[in-house]
Amino acid sequence: MWKRIFIVVFIGLGFSFMGGELEEKFYKAIRGTYEVDQFKLEEIEASAAINEKLPAKTGNENLFQIFSDGQSIGYAYLGKAPSKKKEFDYVVMFDNDLIIKKSKVLIYRENYGQQIGTQRWLRQFIGMSPASEVNYGENVAAISGATISASSMARAVNRVLKTMKILQEENML
Amino acid sequence: MNFKQLLAGAVLGLGVTTAFAQKSVKQDREAIKDMCGCFEVTFKYTETFAPEIDYEKHYDYNATALEWAELIKDEKDELSIQHLLVINDSTIIKHWRQDWLYENTKRYDFNHDNEWTFVEMPKKEVKGQWTQNVYQVDDSPRYSGSATWFHADGKHVWDDVASSPLPRREYSKRSDYNVMMRGNQVEITEDGWLHEQDNEKVIREDGKEDVLLVQEKGYNIYKKVPDAKCKAAKEWWAANKEFWAKVRAKWSEVYGRDKDLSLEKKVEGQALFMKLFPMDVTTSQDKIDEVIEAYVKKG
Repeated sequence: MWKRIFIVVFIGLGFSFMGGELEEKFYKAIRGTYEVDQFKLEEIEASAAINEKLPAKTGNENLFQIFSDGQSIGYAYLGKAPSKKKEFDYVVMFDNDLIIKKSKVLIYRENYGQQIGTQRWLRQFIGMSPASEVNYGENVAAISGATISASSMARAVNRVLKTMKILQEENML
Repeated sequence: MNFKQLLAGAVLGLGVTTAFAQKSVKQDREAIKDMCGCFEVTFKYTETFAPEIDYEKHYDYNATALEWAELIKDEKDELSIQHLLVINDSTIIKHWRQDWLYENTKRYDFNHDNEWTFVEMPKKEVKGQWTQNVYQVDDSPRYSGSATWFHADGKHVWDDVASSPLPRREYSKRSDYNVMMRGNQVEITEDGWLHEQDNEKVIREDGKEDVLLVQEKGYNIYKKVPDAKCKAAKEWWAANKEFWAKVRAKWSEVYGRDKDLSLEKKVEGQALFMKLFPMDVTTSQDKIDEVIEAYVKKG
């Protein structure tokens, strides 16, 4: 039904799987959010059949379970979403109960819409679970002047939540 | 115009210039001395702009204090002000010190990791300028900058940019940057003085360009209050000043070596201030020299 590909990343050994800046920012986000210096990542990849059903796909270094001192400390989904003309990289980080601990925009490639990177806005996603529904402009405030990117980020988080729900139901998490 | 007229004009011009310079130096000295006295201080800092979208701004820093600033050296080309914190009206903590040197040519610029680079400035470059040397609580160096005091439109302002270690408020809390480029503006106000800051928190590595982490705005607002409120600090300084004169004497000898300076953060597990603060006021110069010298890296 599904398979898990174990990619063990030893922080500090310089092993690179996604490359340069994004990798550095991803690790930094994990260290800061989970307050750990050392951790390991295991990539979670759904089978083709399940992946087909997922709104946010796995298998391209997207979804990871995070371990510290041999214990699971949560999950992180690393994805891309569209801004006006380009794409930005984001991460949504969960605790072991699949509650969002934090989300971050890691790399943004346009001059407009950078407001979506501020935690004053992103913290609205904290506490959401796979059962939550993100509705931009309703339970997540709109940002005037950054409508395209902000609504895109809100949709991305919603897709990640739905994905987590499916994977949970499939006993993959 | 004949030669006599030219000569008279030149002499007059020189006289005007000299008088202006003297007036300016007098104003400079008055402005510096205006930073002395008893002050209620408000410290306010907020991080502003970060180049990276994933940088999470830290909480604002707000604090208040009562501070006594004593003029401990008053010479024509050099003024020194010792700051003391007054806690609960009676507990005194020796705080920072600022020295002001007129047309000074030698100073120490903070590099990183407790290293200071000895800098010799050309005489013509520092003409009319005052160097502000800022020292730690143990009189070891913090940062230094040289600039001109301006007195115009009722304002008295001095500003520069200095490379400095992390501020005390973040020294033991942050490790994501190692140098603060301080935009220091000192302005004498009707109520006291204002230390306005436009800082840049940067990551510095040898052989690489500085990387900006985040900018910061800061206001240290010094509001003058009656000296009586700082009575305990005045008394404390009177009782302890001989000890600290010996500490300054040793540091003066170290600074006089005119070469790059590298200091140990700890010796025998203790920072320098932890060794100096408990010392008896009658401690000998030799003992103080020995303690401080242990922190100066050799070679």
